[in-house]
Amino acid sequence: MSGTLSCSATDLAVLLGPNATAAADYICGQLGTVNSKFTDVAFAVDNTYLLFSAYLVFSMQLGFAMLCAGSVRAKNTMNIMLTNVLDAAAGGLFYYLFGYAFAFGSPSNGFIGKQNFGLKDFPTATNDYSVFLYQWAFAIAAAGITSGSIAERTQFVAYLIYSSFLTGFVYPVVSHWFWSPDGWASPFRTEGDLLFSTGAIDFAGSGVVHMVGGIAGLWGALIEGPRLGRFDNGGRAIALRGHSASLVVLGTFLLWFGWYGFNPGSFNKILVTYESGSMNGQWSAVGRTAVTTTLAGCTAALTTLFGKRLLSGHWKVTDVCNGLLGGFAAITGGCSVVEPWAAIICGFLAALVLLGCNKLAERLRYDDPLEAAQLHGGCGAWGLIFTALFAEEKYLNQIYGAKPGRPHGLFMGGGGKLLGAQLIQIVVITGWVSATMGTLFFILKKMKLLRISAEDEMAGMDMTRHGGFAYMYFDDDECHKAIQLRKVQPRSPSPSGVTTTPV
Amino acid sequence: MSGAITCSAADLATLLGPNATAAADYICGQLGTVNNKFTDAAFAIDNTYLLFSAYLVFAMQLGFAMLCAGSVRAKNTMNIMLTNVLDAAAGGFFYYLFGYAFAFGGSSEGFIGRHNFALRDFPTPTADYSFFLYQWAFAIAAAGITSGSIAERTQFVAYLIYSSFLTGFVYPVVSHWFWSPDGWASPFRSADDRLFSTGAIDFAGSGVVHMVGGIAGLWGALIEGPRRGRFEKGGRAIALRGHSASLVVLGTFLLWFGWYGFNPGSFTKILVPYNSGSNYGQWSGIGRTAVNTTLSGCTAALTTLFGKRLLSGHWNVTDVCNGLLGGFAAITAGCSVVEPWAAIVCGFMTSLVLIGCNKLAELVQYGDPLEAAQLHGGCGAWGLIFVGLFAKEKYLNEVYGATPGRPYGLFMGGGGKLLGAQLVQILVIVGWVSATMGTLFFILKRLNLLRISEQHEMQGMDMTRHGGFAYIYHDNDDESHRVDPGSPFPRSALPLAFNFQLFGNLLPFKYCLGFGFEI
Repeated sequence: MSGTLSCSATDLAVLLGPNATAAADYICGQLGTVNSKFTDVAFAVDNTYLLFSAYLVFSMQLGFAMLCAGSVRAKNTMNIMLTNVLDAAAGGLFYYLFGYAFAFGSPSNGFIGKQNFGLKDFPTATNDYSVFLYQWAFAIAAAGITSGSIAERTQFVAYLIYSSFLTGFVYPVVSHWFWSPDGWASPFRTEGDLLFSTGAIDFAGSGVVHMVGGIAGLWGALIEGPRLGRFDNGGRAIALRGHSASLVVLGTFLLWFGWYGFNPGSFNKILVTYESGSMNGQWSAVGRTAVTTTLAGCTAALTTLFGKRLLSGHWKVTDVCNGLLGGFAAITGGCSVVEPWAAIICGFLAALVLLGCNKLAERLRYDDPLEAAQLHGGCGAWGLIFTALFAEEKYLNQIYGAKPGRPHGLFMGGGGKLLGAQLIQIVVITGWVSATMGTLFFILKKMKLLRISAEDEMAGMDMTRHGGFAYMYFDDDECHKAIQLRKVQPRSPSPSGVTTTPV
Repeated sequence: MSGAITCSAADLATLLGPNATAAADYICGQLGTVNNKFTDAAFAIDNTYLLFSAYLVFAMQLGFAMLCAGSVRAKNTMNIMLTNVLDAAAGGFFYYLFGYAFAFGGSSEGFIGRHNFALRDFPTPTADYSFFLYQWAFAIAAAGITSGSIAERTQFVAYLIYSSFLTGFVYPVVSHWFWSPDGWASPFRSADDRLFSTGAIDFAGSGVVHMVGGIAGLWGALIEGPRRGRFEKGGRAIALRGHSASLVVLGTFLLWFGWYGFNPGSFTKILVPYNSGSNYGQWSGIGRTAVNTTLSGCTAALTTLFGKRLLSGHWNVTDVCNGLLGGFAAITAGCSVVEPWAAIVCGFMTSLVLIGCNKLAELVQYGDPLEAAQLHGGCGAWGLIFVGLFAKEKYLNEVYGATPGRPYGLFMGGGGKLLGAQLVQILVIVGWVSATMGTLFFILKRLNLLRISEQHEMQGMDMTRHGGFAYIYHDNDDESHRVDPGSPFPRSALPLAFNFQLFGNLLPFKYCLGFGFEI
């Protein structure tokens, strides 16, 4: 907390008259109690803050489930929503068992954590249950992102395997590198040197969460190939439109709502003073972070609105929603260390990055039902670079510790070292996730556990594996017996070779 | 904060022995640090409270988007939801650039603010980022309300223009008048300088937010006229039902949820004691405000339930939802300064006001897809009058500063001055919003930028300008509306409803009839 209450009875006794020692002890004792009470208040306030932020981040899981549901075809709705529920559930179990330990189990080495498996010896002096819950909510967000890329054509077993691996190992290791006090690239590092005198600055996870989820999704979607009918034989892209724009908007707004826990909550504490007795404290930075987050999203949404109007002739809400989310993914890396006007620039460019990545994906015949790799991977990477250009020295010092001559944003006169650290982060995340998740998806494909058969894909996975169609609006819809109680057999076994020829 | 920790070293020194001064300085220094720590804790707590309240108010944007979507016909779903997303996005942009400055950029002569454009020289000693974010969330709520009145028949360009103008100028000026310490009608002015010795009491915005949004919507809907088919030639009203009651209820509950940020959050601080060291402080007033909000909504919902059962013969959830929201819109002005029993009276009367306004609208052939003008305008105005009748002196003194002889609720023995101030607020808001937004909508109509063509209205705006129908429940519907990414218009101009009647024979499983969408 703020300045120290340190009452030295010996010093005080000298200054008081006869019976001085007793008087001094008495006064110092009282002030000691006051100090303890302040410590108690700070813990209560900070835990309240972090827990409610965690609940907000958790609501992003709901938002992403609705976004996914609305963005896929109706016949696969049950499937995609189940993957979202399972991301949260399996994530909870595996993150508790070893994910948290790999991420934040201190003390350890720079690569991976090794304490607190199954929350053993927990809470620690620095981390309480609120920290664990908050970090769990982040971990399941990363896994959720990946499910979007491989939606509508992936066997459910493959989902379970990749999700557990991502949440339990791949993601925690990355968060260890950049967020743990031990991590080799972490700006919080106390033992050993900071990478390029700064560490990589990724405040709430443009890289750690969004790039990890996006690159994993990229490999899954690349290895299993596009959905049937997505690209015709001439190479032209066919839009396979989602089944409900209402769910897309619902999901997008819920994600926006939850992002107010994701970004400002990453401070972990709100009761930190920069200048005791004044309004200059971390609470102000928390508010500023909420404002930068908002402005980046708003600007990205407006840019996408007009951009798509020019490109396609329509004012399309689902496109605007994606642009909005790209703005948020980008500002996530630097939300706490830039000025509000810079957040506007971030959002504007994030929209352009997303439009560009989508065009590129079409050209390369890459199919991603949620544009997850383009949005989270592409805009996430842009967000890291943005931070390297616009980070303010003053804010970096407040958040990461005062360091004279600290590298900061290139356009703010801070040199190129921070940009170097950010580029290292991009390269390392891409490499690590490709090596781990790329290999996993490849193995799954070789074992014929990855993609479903063409017949199942045309029929829709809800009918063949998930108990029936998601919607039944009239009782006499005899063809769609929603939510069957008995198992509906798939029409054909798993594919012997995947073909992209449309039926 | 609470009572001052003031250590006077001179006073203390005379009480201590030799070396008294040094001892006194030492002790006072320690107590000064204690005082600072209290100040820090208060900032952290109050900012946490206000930020989370802001996030809740933002959730109302989602609630209103779902309410709007469910209340319109399916063929216009994409359109109305896009307007709600854009209210938030454009609102953020323009409120940052100049909306906040007009509203709260002190000091001013009472009409409009003029500092902190694009958050320059910000934060100030009285306003931090949490306050800006909270006020932004309010501003976009006002713009959202208006979109409901002009839904299903308004050109998208018109939305962009009115929304930016409302959030960037019209609304901030009104909030300046009633909520800024400088505003000419504000109860936060110094005690000897207030309108009718009180200022208008509109705690969380029955007038500033709901009336502004509702009156703006009224003009838009009046100027462009009702939807086609809404009133027959003989004058009879035809219900153009919304396409999803589930979305209506979802939206209503989300609005209810968010209202717990809208009303109690308007205290902006929670750590303010009224009697230091006891359980009575602003936190108690905040809790009471949440309770009042709840009771008003509940009572309005129940009254509407039985009222509509008598009038129409049905227990209709969408009507009950509207009644509920009307109850919230009304209590918003006085939620902090009345007793809970009074909130019940407020909700009961609100329901009657809303039913009455709806009947009147039908009589004059006024068409409003969300009943926004009736609900937010009508119930909002009633809410201001309610304050003039039931406001308690004790609560007014706690919230707006202790002022001996302050006017309060007429029925509580406080005279008629407060009611007078409330009536002035109603008149002034109606006048200002009519002059600004009414003129804007008129100009837009003259420039042929307001209403869409009849043909587009029958087809639905989603098909003609928003990239296609919002819902695709069967694959063959998607195939027949293949969107070529390169072309500006969808291939088929047929209304999608016709395709739902077709059987899909192309696939292993037979797909049956789709849903009966009302066109």
